[in-house]
This record gives sequence, structure tokens and C-alpha cells, in this order.
Amino acid sequence: MSDAEATAPTLDEMRSFYREMLLQRRFEEAAARVYTQGKIGGFCHLYIGQEAVGTGAIRALRPDDYVVTAYRDHGHALSKGSSSRAVMAELFGRSTGTSQGLGGSMHLFDVDRGLLGGYGIVGGHVPLAAGVAFASKYRGDGRVTLCFMGDGAVNQGVFFEAMQLASLWSLPVVFIVENNLYAMGTPLSMQTPVEDISLKAVPFGMDRDRFEDRDVFEVRRRVGRAVDRAREEGRPTFLEVLTYRYRGHSMSDPARYRTKEEVEERRLRDPLLFLEQRIKDAGAGGDLAAIEESVAAEVEDALEFAENSPPPDPEVATRFVYA
Amino acid sequence: MPPEENPTAPAHDAPHPALPEGAIRLLNPDGTLVPGAQAPMGREEAVRLYEAMRRQRILDERMLVLQRQGRIGFYGAAQGEEAAVFASAAALRPTDWVVPALRQAGILLMRGLPLYEYLCQLLGNADDVTRGRQMPCHPEGSRFHYLTMSSCIATQVPHATGLALAAKKKGRDDVAVGYTGDGATSEGDFHAGLVMAAALRAPAVFVVQNNQWSISVPVSRQSAARNLASRARATGIPSALVDGNDAFAVYDATRRAVERARSGGGPSLIEAYTYRMGAHTTSDDPSRYRDEGVTAAWRPLDPVDRLRRWLERAGLWTGEREEALSQGWVQEIKEVWARAEAVPRPGVDSLFEDVFRAPTGEIVEQRDALRAHVERFGSASDEAH
Repeated sequence: MSDAEATAPTLDEMRSFYREMLLQRRFEEAAARVYTQGKIGGFCHLYIGQEAVGTGAIRALRPDDYVVTAYRDHGHALSKGSSSRAVMAELFGRSTGTSQGLGGSMHLFDVDRGLLGGYGIVGGHVPLAAGVAFASKYRGDGRVTLCFMGDGAVNQGVFFEAMQLASLWSLPVVFIVENNLYAMGTPLSMQTPVEDISLKAVPFGMDRDRFEDRDVFEVRRRVGRAVDRAREEGRPTFLEVLTYRYRGHSMSDPARYRTKEEVEERRLRDPLLFLEQRIKDAGAGGDLAAIEESVAAEVEDALEFAENSPPPDPEVATRFVYA
Repeated sequence: MPPEENPTAPAHDAPHPALPEGAIRLLNPDGTLVPGAQAPMGREEAVRLYEAMRRQRILDERMLVLQRQGRIGFYGAAQGEEAAVFASAAALRPTDWVVPALRQAGILLMRGLPLYEYLCQLLGNADDVTRGRQMPCHPEGSRFHYLTMSSCIATQVPHATGLALAAKKKGRDDVAVGYTGDGATSEGDFHAGLVMAAALRAPAVFVVQNNQWSISVPVSRQSAARNLASRARATGIPSALVDGNDAFAVYDATRRAVERARSGGGPSLIEAYTYRMGAHTTSDDPSRYRDEGVTAAWRPLDPVDRLRRWLERAGLWTGEREEALSQGWVQEIKEVWARAEAVPRPGVDSLFEDVFRAPTGEIVEQRDALRAHVERFGSASDEAH
């Protein structure tokens, strides 16, 4: 796709991207609601506010490309094509979930759609993504691996090891740091004196880029360049996307480490609102209600599906341990 | 944006002696100063530094022979890297912590450890303070602010960071220096340690002795980066790339880094670009994986000879002094070695000591069982001497 096409989306594209981002937003709002009702157990990390990153990035991929991500993974799974029913069912721990109810919120896995997790250990999945890219290179399958992580992950030793190998072996991988400014409750400034996280690429001689998530089409364009580089030149890229999460780190975090004003100020710069305005400016504001309605129906259907799905059979506990 | 500062490394596997771009050199291989450069230390200090470097060279040569004779189990020499080791250590105060890797044990001798203790550690005998529990070349030196060596690669970075933070917390202005090789820069610990040091502004200095070989793996097969000093960029700490065979350049860079750390300016990283002239250790044969023609090409850059040439030009050193130093030291090594080698191995009872202040019942039981066994069958430790 040329840059011009990417920057000047059609109205259809705008509606389609908007629906995808709105679905993630409403899906998670519903998940948060039922979480507090005790219907979802364990951890639950919401992506609300960051939807433009995953949506724009994954839209830059081919359907057979891979995504490897951390535990804030609901939006990534939905963008990669997992059904809202299967994702919600996984949150409920039901047998119809993406991981048959074994993984829960942090461990969404959908091999048919190239989603290779969903991982709970900070930074632990980064070398796995390098390994997936190595497999693609080895097989010559032309696929690219997109690896999402948070800003806290870039201080982990394994992150550097993976960057080193990806660069040394020229792997077709794109690393994306979704810099939401807080590693749980630790602000970026307490983690590192380097404000520009993309500098982490320098010691490895890797291409890098750094941009904001405000315009989802700009995200697609910038990630697209990196994906092209990976596919055509076999070279990795390190991207930092500046974003913000409106909710706490997880459902158990009241986020007392930042001010209400800060969050309110960031909400005004919401990429979803930005796209909404863009659709209105294009004269299609009248379509928004129908999109909202269709999303609400899909979320309602997903909740109903999850609630009515059976829990995993106890035998499943041992089924995936040995081949 | 495209990769900056670090275009992919040249594809050769055997690094040529040419200095990498941007590396600082003060002293030319022929012993003249680079135009505009000044000796960064006093004349007497330079002489003492040279003596320490030359002694290490002689000690290494002697110990390698003894190892080949089967009288030491293992040895890791500093051959070719003496400037990186001693000139950096010379820029420290005695209370600054040294966290060594394999080739820095000579720093302990420079700080005053008696040769006898050093040799007893190589032998692992009854007079070895660690009683043979560490491999040779892993001496203990906490009274000289020298942490006993960890054989694990790259642990020096988090350990030095910890010691530096401890000094800071105690309100002392001591600095901690962690030494690693090039291989360590590929380890997660290396980066995690740097991140921690940077974020908490630890008064630490990290010296990477890039001797081009991680045992048998050349830097070009480990890293796509052109130099290792750039590792610091990811954490926002200052770094310097220096000619590691130039004692003056190493000393000057370390002195600046130490001053920065001591005055609250946080950590720094120094890459000393050098070459491992010998084997990785006595358990290694480099001729099987590298072109020793390249090793020969590095010989004219020798760090010990280079400093000696400068001293001679400055009128601070003569052939007679060289002869006296060399003969005196060889004689001392010979005498002290004879004394150390005569000391028996630690008694078998020592196996059960140093874990608990008072031995537990189980340990007493095991000790008694071993005693009975030795009484009946004799001890392998006795046979060895």
C-alpha cells in the first residue's frame, strides 16, 4: 500500500476502523462491568484508550502474519480476527473461549488467526516473538511477526537479548512498545532517564520509529513501513507508539499514582473521538448511531454466549501438557 | 528512521588490529604521544602502573607453564589486556569496589594482596582463605574492596550497581567498577544492570574489555552493532570507546568516569578495544577457531611494551631497571610458589565448615561418616601431595 492511500482513508475504511476500535472499547467496558459482578475471575487488564495502536498496527499486516503480545491482549485478539464471542468466553473461563477456558484474560491464543498469545510475564514473550520470526525466516513463509509490549518490558534483560538476536539474525519482526507512560504504578521517569524509548534500538543497529497513536491511519502507515521492511528486506524494526490507558493497570488498580486532571486531559485526545470527528467532517456522522448499535448488539451477544457456555471439562487440565 | 551510529559490523570474523572509528587513543604503539595529547598521570604513577602490568605478564607466563605441568587446575591469563585491567584500576581509590571478571585478579596484587595468598588460591590449599572452593583465578579480596569473582557472565554489572548503590546509601563517595568482556554485552543481566544503574544514578563504572572473542565466538557473530560502547545509548548513560591497549587512554577515560560517578553524575560505560592474545583459558585452543596470523598482527600494539617505550622516551625506564624488575619478580614467584606448593590441601573436615556457625546434627553425622571412610580407605587429597 502506498503512503498516500494510507493517509487518505476512504469513508468505508474510516467506518470499518471506527467500528473495530469502538467494539474493543465497548467490549471491555462490558467486561469491566461483569468483572465487578464476579463473573470474570483472575486478572483483567483493559486496553481502553490504546485501541488505535493495535487496530492500526494489525491492519498493516496480512491475515497470515503473526501477532505475539503481552497480557493487555483483548483488543489485539479482536483486531486479529478472533470473534468477540470466543474472547469473551475466554475471559469467563469457558470451554468455548479462544484457549478453551484454560488461559483467561491474559492468555488469549488463536492459532488459526496467527495470534500466538497472550503472555503474563513482563517481557517474557519478546524472545518468543523473535523465535516465531526465526521460524518464518527458516521456512521462508514470508510472514511477519508483530510483537506488542508495554514500556515496563523494555527494562527486562530478555528484551535486550531478543533485540540482539533479531538484529543479528535479521529476523522479520516488528517490535512495538505501547508506551502508556506507566509500568503498573511506576511512571516512565522513575524507570529510566531516557524519555525516548525508541533509543533502545540504537545498540543493536536496528531501524526505529516513534509516533503518537492519535490517528489510527497514521499508525497503520508507520507500522506498514516497518512490516514492509521486515517482509521485503528481512530486517527488524523497533517502534515506540505514545499512548495512554484511561483505566488502571488492571482491574485491581485504582491508579492513585496519577491525577484525575491528567486522565481527563488525555481523554480529550482520545483517538476514538478523533476518528469520530473525522467521520462527521466527512459528512457521515449519521452513520455513527448504526455502528454504535451494531457494536452494542455484538457485545451483548458475546456476553450471552459466554454466560451460556459450559465450563471446561476437568479432563482438559491434562490434555495440553504432553503431545 | 534508519539505524544510526551503528551500521552493521563488517563481515570479517577475525578483527583486524585497526582501531574502530571514534576510538580514543593518547599513546601510539611506538610510545610517542598522539599530537596534542598529554600523559594523564604523574611520572611515578606511570612507572608503578608499568611495573604492575609487566609483573602480570610475567606471572601469567609462569602460571601457564605450571598449569601445563599439571600443578594448577586452571588458569585465565590477561595477556594483551593488561592496560585495560591495570590502567582502569589505577584510576581508582583503594576503597572503590572492583567487581572482576576472569582477567582482573592482578588488581588485587596491585592493591596489596600478598603473592603468597594469590598463589595459595590458585592451588586451593589449606592456606587459601576460600579453601579451594573457588576455581583458580577467583581470589577473595573483600579487605581490598575486591569482590570475589562470579564465573557467570555479566553478573558484574548488577553486582557493581548494587555495591555502588550501597555506598551511595551509606553516604560514602566510593565508586564501584564492574568489569566484563564483550560476550557479557549480549546477556540480559548486562542490560538490566545498566537500566538499574541509570535509573537510580548509581556511582558505578562499567568497563567492557572487548577482546574480540567470547571464547570462540567473535563479536561480529554476536552483535550487529558496530561498537559495544553504544550499549549505553539505550539507557541514556555516557560512554567512551578507547584503545584498550593504550594505558593512558584507558586511565584517562576511567578517571573521568570515576569523577563523574563520585560527584553524583551517575554511571558510565567504557569499551576498551583490545585483543585476547592467548587462549580463553587453559581449557581452550584458539588455533582451532581463529586465524593466529591476526593475533600476530596485534603483537606490535602490545600494551605493556607500548607503555615501556613511553617511559624509556621520557627517561623514566632503562634496560637495567627492566632486567632488575623481571629477575626480582621471577625469583619472588619461584620462592613463594615453592612455599605455597608445600602446603597441604584443606582437610576433609573443612568440607563441612563455613555453612552453619554451629554444625547441624545431619552435618555432624555426614562428617563422622566421611572421617570413618577416610580412616579405612585413605584420602585422595593425601595422595595428591
